[in-house]
Amino acid sequence: MSNERYSFSLTTFSPSGKLVQIEYALAAVAAGAPSVGIKAKNGVVLATENKQKSMLYEEQSIFKVETVTDHIGMVYSGMGPDYRLLVKKARKMAQEYYRTYEEPIPTAQLVQRVALVMQEYTQSGGVRPFGVSLLICGWDSGRPYLFQCDPSGAYFAWKATAMGRNYINGKTFLEKRYSDDLELDDAVHTAILTLKEGFEGQMTAENIEVGICDENGFHRLSVSTVRDHLANIP
Amino acid sequence: MSILAYNGGAVVAMKGKNCVAIASDKRFGIQAQTLSVNFEKVFEMSPHLYVGLPGLATDTQTVHQRLKFRQNLYELKEGRRMSPKAFSAMLSNLLYERRFGPYFVEPIVAGLDQNYEPYINAMDLIGCITQPDDFVVSGTCASQLYGMCEVLWEPNLEPDDLFETISQALVNACDRDAVSGWGAVVHIIEKDKVTIKHVKTRMD
Amino acid sequence: MALASLPHLSGMKKNDSRFNPYDDNGGSIVAIGGDNYLLIASDTRLSTGYSIYTRNQSKLFQVSNKSIVGCSGCWCDTLTLTRLINARMQMYLHEHNKEMSTPALAQMISTMLYYKRFFPYYVSVVMGGLEPDGSGWVYSYDPIGNLERSKFHAGGSSGALLQPLLDNQVGLKNIQNIVEESITLEKASRIVQDVFISAAERDIYTGDEIHIMCITADGIKEEKVDLRKD
Repeated sequence: MSNERYSFSLTTFSPSGKLVQIEYALAAVAAGAPSVGIKAKNGVVLATENKQKSMLYEEQSIFKVETVTDHIGMVYSGMGPDYRLLVKKARKMAQEYYRTYEEPIPTAQLVQRVALVMQEYTQSGGVRPFGVSLLICGWDSGRPYLFQCDPSGAYFAWKATAMGRNYINGKTFLEKRYSDDLELDDAVHTAILTLKEGFEGQMTAENIEVGICDENGFHRLSVSTVRDHLANIP
Repeated sequence: MSILAYNGGAVVAMKGKNCVAIASDKRFGIQAQTLSVNFEKVFEMSPHLYVGLPGLATDTQTVHQRLKFRQNLYELKEGRRMSPKAFSAMLSNLLYERRFGPYFVEPIVAGLDQNYEPYINAMDLIGCITQPDDFVVSGTCASQLYGMCEVLWEPNLEPDDLFETISQALVNACDRDAVSGWGAVVHIIEKDKVTIKHVKTRMD
Repeated sequence: MALASLPHLSGMKKNDSRFNPYDDNGGSIVAIGGDNYLLIASDTRLSTGYSIYTRNQSKLFQVSNKSIVGCSGCWCDTLTLTRLINARMQMYLHEHNKEMSTPALAQMISTMLYYKRFFPYYVSVVMGGLEPDGSGWVYSYDPIGNLERSKFHAGGSSGALLQPLLDNQVGLKNIQNIVEESITLEKASRIVQDVFISAAERDIYTGDEIHIMCITADGIKEEKVDLRKD
């Protein structure tokens, strides 16, 4: 791969100073299914749309919201296969950290290291940038964390954010709805409402996914729990 | 003769009430010949974290340097201090990386953790950790130290009493070991101060 | 091992499994001599490797009314040596019509050990006794008869653990601003029990019981104290 002599990086600067491959990657993200993350006082929520094209599709088999360690989870907008590679790497990095220091990896550390991998794929030969943006949430040192990780390797800490299709509307919606003393349950509610903005067709417990992280760790909500939350939405 | 005993030296650490103590002798020699009497084997790694590295002197220094290297990277990357537990896990890994060509040191870690609780442990030269709740000993006069500590140590010693206990344990143990002694240094680690005392011993 | 590594003797390397006449059966001896008493104690465990032969074998041997030999290491050598000492004590009594004095016994043991300089008794000997002036003294030996006269000594498998402790608690080493005075029998007895309890914590070859013997002008008193048995 990169050690072959004529294997150059695809990501090269344009004369105007832009890296168009990265912009294309971001375009792939912006075309992907929307996902939302909101930090609350006592936890953090991730939510995403998981709509399938065919009614023949078997739901509840392949998930978009994934656990990385007990206390960290993530979701994506963009290309599924790329995401699953990053989940695999993130899980491995978290375990390596635990093996080295015998303490759970801080969320910020995991984000930093995942971002480093994503950056490498913008500069190495024989590879292309990842076609995903990640939302990584976690709980450590007694408080919640929420980060976004882009194909360029840039990462951001958010109180709340939206990615993927219609993300600008989603963020505008969140700016109006967000407050600093949100409870986790309210945050789940708001996250689902944000997804509902611009949701095409009927939103059901089967075609969205929600994950929450609090002091007890991260987990994906069951269909019935999501259904309960949806029942509270007019 | 074991390479571990080539230069001589001993380290001991003890838990007290809201404090820990770690002490080492100061001799550096080649077998029976003493070359220096100010070779300390205990290093401050951060304000509440100390490590003692008795064994082959060159490895004492190398392991200390490699530990500091890894610790600095950790603290810069994470923007926080290392806990004694994380530090010990890191040290254990560092040693196990050389499983089949080990560093000839048997380290002791002593300090206060994030909640200022006393923490001590000891490792063998390939990083197997033991974590008792009274005291740990290591070095060429380990058996002498076991005998001393087993009698002198008691739970919940105040800093001053802990200093007296650890000093007596170390000095008397070293006096019965030809390759340890020639002065000693004791570190008493408390929440808001660390006291370092140099103890005079017999020099023969 | 060392021989086999020499090139001209490397032919000996095959069939290296030669008979080894020695075993280490463990056990510890502690003795303290005072102004008018001699206290000597041993544990009662007899073991080899990880197994215990018996939990009830004292390693103390009274060889006269004024002296006791403590002997640990290879048990068969202990038996042989102490029987030989007893025989020599008898011969001395018959020849001289008096019991051998403690200093004379001390020198005799040294000679007996050195006699087997090139096939030594694999033992650590601690002998204690009252001297003609009534004071208690301790004589300790290496396996080939090197002799040291002192006020206290720890020998056997826990010797390394206990000796610095006796230096400190009985010899009052490394203690500042105190008047050196000889310790009382009560204190000596307490120290002996403490150090054996400690030795039993860390040395698997020391445990089960302490056999304490005390010689004073009034005679010899014996006592047994429990130790941990694991």
